[in-house]
Order: sequence, then structure tokens, then C-alpha cells
Amino acid sequence: MSNEVMFAREDEMEALNVVDDGVDSQKYLIFMAAHLKLGVIAEDVVEILNNQVITYLPMVPGFIRGIINMRGQMIPILDICSRMGLPSREEDSLVVVINLGDVQLGILVDGVDQMLDIPRANIHPLPANSAQLLVSGMCSLPDGSGTMMVLDCEQLLPHD
Amino acid sequence: MGSGNEILDMYIYETGTLLEQLETIVLEAEKADTFSQENVNEIFRIMHTIKGSSAMMEFDSLATVAHRIEDMFFIIREGTMSVVSEENRPALFDVVFQSIDFFRGEVEKVESGEPLDKDIDSFLTNINTLISKIKGEEPAQPEPAPAAAPAGPAPEPVSAAGFPFGLQVNFEEGCGMESLRAFMLVTSVKDVCEETEFTFDPPDVETNSATSETIIEHGFHMMFRSAQARDGAVSVIKSAGSVQGYQSYDCPVEEPAPAPAASAAPAASAAPAASAAPAKAAAPAASAAPAQQQHPKETLISVNLSKLDQLSAVVGEIVITESMVTSSPDLKGLNLDAFSKSARQLRKLTDELQDVSMSLRMVPVSSVFQKMTRIVRDMTKKLNRPCKLTLVGENTEVDKTIVDNIGDPIMHMVRNSMDHGIEETQEERVAAGKDPVGEILLSARDTGSEVIIEIIDDGRGVNDEAVLAKAIRQGIASPDVDYSHKEILNFLLAPGFSTNTEVTEFSGRGVGMDVVKRGVEELGGSVSISSELGHGMTTTIRIPLTMAIMDGMEVSVGDSIFTIPINNILSTMKISKGDVIHDSSQGEIIKCQGDFYPIVRARELYQLQGGCTEVEDGVLLWLEAGDHSYCLFVDELLGQQQVVVKQLPAYVNSFNVKNYGINGCTLRSDGSISIILDVASLYTASRGI
Repeated sequence: MSNEVMFAREDEMEALNVVDDGVDSQKYLIFMAAHLKLGVIAEDVVEILNNQVITYLPMVPGFIRGIINMRGQMIPILDICSRMGLPSREEDSLVVVINLGDVQLGILVDGVDQMLDIPRANIHPLPANSAQLLVSGMCSLPDGSGTMMVLDCEQLLPHD
Repeated sequence: MGSGNEILDMYIYETGTLLEQLETIVLEAEKADTFSQENVNEIFRIMHTIKGSSAMMEFDSLATVAHRIEDMFFIIREGTMSVVSEENRPALFDVVFQSIDFFRGEVEKVESGEPLDKDIDSFLTNINTLISKIKGEEPAQPEPAPAAAPAGPAPEPVSAAGFPFGLQVNFEEGCGMESLRAFMLVTSVKDVCEETEFTFDPPDVETNSATSETIIEHGFHMMFRSAQARDGAVSVIKSAGSVQGYQSYDCPVEEPAPAPAASAAPAASAAPAASAAPAKAAAPAASAAPAQQQHPKETLISVNLSKLDQLSAVVGEIVITESMVTSSPDLKGLNLDAFSKSARQLRKLTDELQDVSMSLRMVPVSSVFQKMTRIVRDMTKKLNRPCKLTLVGENTEVDKTIVDNIGDPIMHMVRNSMDHGIEETQEERVAAGKDPVGEILLSARDTGSEVIIEIIDDGRGVNDEAVLAKAIRQGIASPDVDYSHKEILNFLLAPGFSTNTEVTEFSGRGVGMDVVKRGVEELGGSVSISSELGHGMTTTIRIPLTMAIMDGMEVSVGDSIFTIPINNILSTMKISKGDVIHDSSQGEIIKCQGDFYPIVRARELYQLQGGCTEVEDGVLLWLEAGDHSYCLFVDELLGQQQVVVKQLPAYVNSFNVKNYGINGCTLRSDGSISIILDVASLYTASRGI
């Protein structure tokens, strides 16, 4: 595990302490992808990995970069940027492994920003005419660093 | 497995095993057209056990049916098979088969938690009619009633010479099956008391259910040689179920009572925890008579398959981790004598561990093959086409998952052989110069890497023209093409093909043999058919021995690494540009050993970045799977490797990569991933089929 990730975890701890308990809130892990701040529910996050060798898999849509071996388990890696139709960076990036029901999915991101407790009331729905399929809500970050988009992980799964 | 259901699971497992045993016996007996005394005893024992355990589980309908069959076999046992006249024998076999089906069906219902069939009257009537028929044939046969009991109008005491210490046990009113309960009591008393130390009355509770009435009326009597023994028994009886009460009495001493001091012995000191599972106790005890028939079941345990799966997964990990450790790049250039020695030892042990864990999952195919005997029997009767089934190599062991899933494909083929293969009339067979009785041979053999199952019939064989005509009608074949014999046979396996015009009970339910093909392919195997008109048909099913581990050849294409099953590789070769023949549609063809085969370039098929484009730089693998034979062009051979097959994540599979030959993956010794290719579907993908 790299230092970068270790530090990120400490940041997360601090962020945790700031927020008052007792408010109906949800913890989010916020990461960066193509200059967007995206949040996923922290409970769903299994692991944050870096320096992973991704094995290319042919015959799958372009947004699936391939698979990785996480302690003997095969995890598909999804490039969130290209999934959202944004340009993706080729440099080495982080993988956030999330658990959706019985599916484990690795999301390729540019970096992890912070972990934050956000009161549910602060998360606002998208503007009515928005066509962003993968985002289910938005929230202004308390430190004024920008807006977080809540990633709708269910939408990442294939529908049949 | 929930602990609360353990008894139920045990019941289901045991009853299933017993039914299988029973079916084997009856099938063999039917061939001989008689039951040997040994068989009768065994059937009697099986029914007795089923009756006992079903009553214990309160499955009354099962217990009742078992009871009646037991009664029937009691008569046969007493009077030997000669009490059943020739014309009643087929009915007897039928009834036993019906009862097997009935039990199976009910046990399945129990398993899935459905309510049991309460309406067993018609079936019981069937059995009763047969019983009275058998009895009618043999009026001399005495009623197996309480004759044996020393019909005592005097309720008690019942005395026996040498056993002065009596004990009268009364069962709860209306608890039913008193004779069986009494027998269980005897069995548990045997645990604390030598068999020679006591006797009981009525003496034939094990075999004669009519003694129940005697017991209800007079109680069940046990007589002991010493008071001590009796005290021991009392404590057992106290803990037994359904006992209302007991009463001890001493008979006038006819012989000098042995060890008078013993009678002074206070409350029982013995009685080491009488087992509270009388059903289990009854089973081995009841089999005491045909002891030589006893199967070595005691050395077997049943294990939940998921635990074995877990074990093989962990062992697979260990194997990989072992090679990751021993070939770690950190060790490069170091001179580590002691380490390499231990590493070799570790290697040996992990290999052994792997072999053992694989062997745990191996079971003989005999259970599947036995089912076919039954199917052939039933169909022989229904279709009135005499046919015998010969089994070869039923002890061949394969992975449990294969045994569980191979049944349907084999059954389909056997039915197909009976229905379409074997001639309709014996005259037709005689005219063709064949034995009037048809033959189906079902064989299994193990070649070390795969299991080959063959279903061979000596029937009519496949009529190429009829098949082709049908295929054209179904739109599977094109009328303008000349098809080879082999290609025509392949139509049989195509979806939606069924040569029989009418749907019969046994085969052709709108689905053709493609279900066989699909079923076998799901197991990683392949099916092929060969046939000669007039000489029958052979279906060959090839299945890899185990799906968890296989020998593979690692090849590279650009940056990607693929593993190809060794079984599919015929040879590898280096070629030059001049060897490649171009066909009219931009395809490439190569000539190998006199035949022409298409070339598939992995790089182009999978649109990979990098990799060789010039044929001189790469290697050609000649592959074969099922009916496809072709050459795959890759960059380099990396070496042969035993690999642990891992499934691709479901998420990836949802993109149908399996249709493109991407079948699984495996971890290489350095932790990187290699993709396992399926040779057959890779080819179909490359042809765009």
C-alpha cells in the first residue's frame, strides 16, 4: 500500500471528526475523475489500490479496462471517465474497489480527495432536465472546494 | 446446512442411498426373473429401515407404503420366491419399481418442503391385491401372525428358563408400530447388556409387525439373567421415547440364582448414555441377518459440496502462492541451498495436497449409469422393443459436478437410441441379420486428462438423406450445398432439429439433441456422433476430468497472455509466407498433413495492440475442438503450465465474452493474469457464426 493512500486515510479521519454525530448523514468517499468530484457511499468501498497491473480483456466495451487480481479474486476495472464519455488519463491511476450486492467492481479514478460525512438533507437532486445518467444527486462541499456528484453505482451494472 | 435440519438431511440422504441400493437389486433380480433369498432379505431390511425412519420423521404415508411392501416381502421371505407364481412376477417387479418412484417423489417433496401426497390409497390397493394374489397361490402359507408368541391369556409374568428377572414395558397408547419400538428398545438394551444376558417376548418383533397387537395387549416383556442387567436396562428404557411405564417382576427361581448379591445392587450404575437416535440404531441392527450384504458405509461421511469447493479454491491459491514464493524475483542471484531444499519439499507436499483435494471431489459414474438401466427397462416395456443395456466402466471416477450434470445428456441419448435407433420390430432386426434383442452399450473410460463416455446402439443408424432433407426443411441446411457425412451428422446436434415426426413420451419434446450438446459444453466437454446406416450410432461425449485444474499452453500476443488447453492442441509449427494460401474471401488457409485448415489470427480477432503481423515472426498452433479444426496464429509460446481455472467476474461475462472464446482466467506464477481461451467458440466467433 502506498503512502499516498495512507495519508488519504488520515485525512479521512480528520474529516470525520469535524461533523457532528446525531444528524442523519451518510459518509461518502470523494474521488477525482476528469476534474469532477464524484462521491460513492463509503460503506460500499472495499479497498483502494494503486499501482495495479490491469490485464487487458478483449471483446468488451472500451470503458472496461480489463481485470485485476485482488488476492486471488478477479475484479473487473471500469474506467469511470470513459464510461461517462469524458477523456480519460493514461497515467497510473487509483482503483477504488466497490461492492454492489454480490458484484465487486473496480473504478479507475485519478485520485482520492477525501472522506466526508454529509447530511442527507444537503444532497440535492439534479436539475430536472439534466441528462447525466450516472449521477443521482449533488452536494456543495462544506470546505468550499467544489461540488460533489453522487455516483449512482447501480447504474454501472449492466441491465438485461 | 442448518443444524436443525440435520436429522432431516440425514433422513433424505439415507433414504436416497437405500433406494438406489434397492433399485440395483430389483433391476438385477428382474433380469434373473426371481429374487434370491439374499435379495429378499436385503429388500426387507431396506423397507424396514425406510419404514422406521419415515415413521420417526412422521411421514406417515411413506411409512405405510413401506410397511405394506415389507409385509409382502415377509411372505416371500417365509415361503421363498416359489410363492410368487410366474404370472405374478412382472407385477411384483412393477410394484417394487412403482414404490421406488413413489418414495423418490415423496423424498423430493420433503427436500423441497412441499406437502406430501396424502392420497396413497390406490397405490396401497395395488400392493394389497398383489399380496392377496401371492397369498392365494399359497394357501398353505400360515398367517405370519402371533403364532410365534406363546399366546398367553395370563398377562404376566412371562418367564423363560434361566432368565428370572422380568421387566414388562408398556408403550404409550396409540403410539403405533409397537413391534418396531420394542425392537429399538432391544437394540438399545444391547448397548448396555450382553445379548446372552437377556431375552424378550414376543421374540420376533423385528420381523413380525403383527406382534404389535400382542404388545399392546400384554406389554413387551424382557427377561434378564441378573437383576443388575435389568437395572441397566431400566435406565435405558427410561430414556426411550413413547414408553408409558415399566414394571419389574421376579419369576420363581428355577435354577439357583446366580450371584445373589447382585440383586442387592442399588440403582443402575451402568447405562452409558443410551443413544436417543433409535432409527439409526435400528438400521445396522436390522441388517444383522444378511451380514455379508453390509456395505462398507460406516467408513464414509457425507460432506457439503460447498465445503469441498472452498477447499479446492484454497488449495488452488496455495499452489499459486507456493510458486509465487519460490520463484520470487527477490531471490534471483542468491545462493540458497537450504531454501531450495525446503522449497522442493514444499512443492512436493502442495502437489500431494492438490491431488488429495481433487480426489475428494471424484465420484464414480455408476449412479448415473444405473439410472439408465431403469430407463431402458421402462422403455423396453412401453415400446415393446426388447433391448439390453450393457454398462462398461461404471467405476470410472469423475468430478462431482460432472456426475450431477451429465445425467440428462446421457439420458437423452439413451432414450434417443431406444426411440429412434433400435428397430421397431424384432423381425426387422432379424431381417438385417442382427440379434432380435437390441443392444445399447454405455461405457465410460478415463484417459488421464478426460473422460470419454460413449453411447453405442446397434440399431438402424442415421439415414443421411432423411436427416439432410429434414435439415433443409428446418432451414438449418442449404439445399445447394454438398454436405459431407460428418456435416450431416452434425445437423442432429443443431438447435431445433428432431428427426422424429411425432412427439413421443420419451424423446423429442420439441427439443432436439442440441440440449445434449449444450449440456455437455457447459461442462467444458464436447459431443460427436458417428453412424453407419444399418449399423447403429455411436455418440461420444468427452469431458475434461476436472474443471478446476487443467494443463494449458501459455502463449503471448502483443502484451496479452492467453492459455490454451493442451488437450486442444494438435501441434505447433513455424511457417513462412509462402505456405499461406489465400482464399477468395480474404481468408488464409494452411495445409497440414494433407488437409487444409483456416488460419485465425488472435491479434486481429481480438483487435489487440501490438503483436506480430508477419507469419515468419510468430507461431502457428494447430487446434482441434469438437468438429472444428483450425490454426491459431500467436506471437510466442511461453510454455506449458498446470493452471487453476478461475471464472471471469459475472460483470465481464455479462458482455458475452464467452461467445468470443474468452472462457476464464488463471493466475500466473508472478501474480499476473492469463486469459483462458475456449478453442471451439473462438473459432465460431472468428467465422462470425
